[in-house]
Amino acid sequence: MTSLSLSTPRSRPLISWRVRKLLIGYSYLVPAALCLLATVVVPIFFAVKMSLYADVLYKPQDYRFIGLGNYIRLLYDPVFWLTLQNSVVWVFGSVFLQFIFGFAAALLLQQAFTGRALVRTLTLLPWIIPGVVVGLIWQWLYQPNYGVINDLLIRAGAMSERIAWLSSPDYAMAAVVFTNVWRGIPFFAIMLLAGLQAVPDELYEAAHVDGAGVLSRFWHITLPLLRPIIVVSTATRIIWTFNYADLIFVMTGGGPANATQITSTYTLTQAYATLDFGYAGALSVVLLIVMLAFTWAYLRVTKGIEEPE
Amino acid sequence: MTARRAKPSDKFERLLAGPVVWIGLILLTAFALGPFLWMLLTSLKSRTELYATPLQYLPVHPTFENYVEAWTSPVTPFSRFFLNSLWVCSVTMVATTAVSVLAGYAIARFRFAGRDALLLIFLATQMFPSVLLIAPLLTQWRALGLIDTYQALIYSNFSFTVPFTVWMMVGYFSSIPRDLEESAMIDGCNHFGALVRIVLPLAAPGIAATAIFAFVVSWSELLFAISFTTETNMRTLSAGLLYMVGQYEVQWGQLSAGVILSTVPVAILFAFLQRHLIHGLTAGAVKG
Repeated sequence: MTSLSLSTPRSRPLISWRVRKLLIGYSYLVPAALCLLATVVVPIFFAVKMSLYADVLYKPQDYRFIGLGNYIRLLYDPVFWLTLQNSVVWVFGSVFLQFIFGFAAALLLQQAFTGRALVRTLTLLPWIIPGVVVGLIWQWLYQPNYGVINDLLIRAGAMSERIAWLSSPDYAMAAVVFTNVWRGIPFFAIMLLAGLQAVPDELYEAAHVDGAGVLSRFWHITLPLLRPIIVVSTATRIIWTFNYADLIFVMTGGGPANATQITSTYTLTQAYATLDFGYAGALSVVLLIVMLAFTWAYLRVTKGIEEPE
Repeated sequence: MTARRAKPSDKFERLLAGPVVWIGLILLTAFALGPFLWMLLTSLKSRTELYATPLQYLPVHPTFENYVEAWTSPVTPFSRFFLNSLWVCSVTMVATTAVSVLAGYAIARFRFAGRDALLLIFLATQMFPSVLLIAPLLTQWRALGLIDTYQALIYSNFSFTVPFTVWMMVGYFSSIPRDLEESAMIDGCNHFGALVRIVLPLAAPGIAATAIFAFVVSWSELLFAISFTTETNMRTLSAGLLYMVGQYEVQWGQLSAGVILSTVPVAILFAFLQRHLIHGLTAGAVKG
């Protein structure tokens, strides 16, 4: 037996086919892994490290290790607690309204009408343009003297005096949330539209024959079948909105008097304007922990619902 | 054939459905497009018309002077901003696509230890706030001497393009049957050859969508652009628009022209992308 295999010496590859295949697979992953390592993993490590130091960019002489000092400062920072509160208003106000109007939009865009493809594309526009563009457009619409919103409301008799929407502590948050709603409706519209198109028509027809009205068909067929996509899109949107800083940063910079300051814009302000990297690091770590907790909870809830292809 | 009984509610529903749908569609379109339309009208107004009291809705003497001024202004050189964005986004797009095609293919085709964990990491990275990365990346680029370079912006863009595009590519590759590459490999193609000759052509639409997506999201990027550049000449469009606001009293005429100019390219690209993007989005991974 042994002599047989010896007499037909097949050159055995140095490394077996299986291992080689595995090595090829890993080598394909190297560029992506390097990208993430250099731009996400290492920076996060540094953010954690920064949060343990007194690290204000223009005070290099004060640079030193202070342990949890930045975190303790955070606990006693009333603005930080205010930003958490504001974040809740910002996130849930935005996502709730985006969802309601986005659902309505999806139901409308599902109807058959001429020019449907064009209308679908056009209504998606607010979602794809840069955040800074959205912010500037609405800043101009809200402008107290030359803004069209004040003008229309006064003409319609809804109010008698011009309102400085973005510099009023009472209206600023509502104004930025409204802008974010405008921007986010298309997101829910396309997600839910994709879900609606996957519902087989036979279900509706059968329900119709059985005498179910519009509302009951919506309630008993549409909603349950869309549940997975609703959970996925809402959760990702919540996370994204919590992290999203551009719009508020452009429109109000967190003002007036922190009325629109959310945790992510506060972190940004600390890093970008105050140049207090230590404190910004501590805020980032808190943001990260909140996000990871939420993501973990989300993955647990969606386990079994979401089946990636 | 079961004859459908006409129920009293049927007639009511049909009567209601037509007008409700139409009114809804008109409201939806007006709400989505109204602000753009207002910006477009603003950009065509001269200074006097822009700041007229009472508010003048339509430009009586439409003019392109705002566009010309924004494009050629030496203080806020919009043409320069535009080219900067074009370069940064194009390089980001090409590099991101190359990287994510390889990684997506590996994840879709090879069973290796840590595959699921890796996918999860790519998903989790999308959930990370980019404000988290600003301070450490700034320190990092400063140490490497990359402040005010295109590289700093391009590398930073990878932090949010790559995780998402890898997910998109995994989805596309998984939908392509394995048999084709396997028979190519039996015919003597190596792995890379099979990927290039068989899989890539089949995945072309998906790859195009991924590329455009990377371009569009980089086009919107603001925070990295304002943090890692200090020279006016290095500003991207988003950063440049913000810079225009910060310069002096806001020139809404020029600014609105800038807004329209920076919207057009993404709007055109998006029209191509739409169908594929929706597929990618509903496949499970979401950013933006």
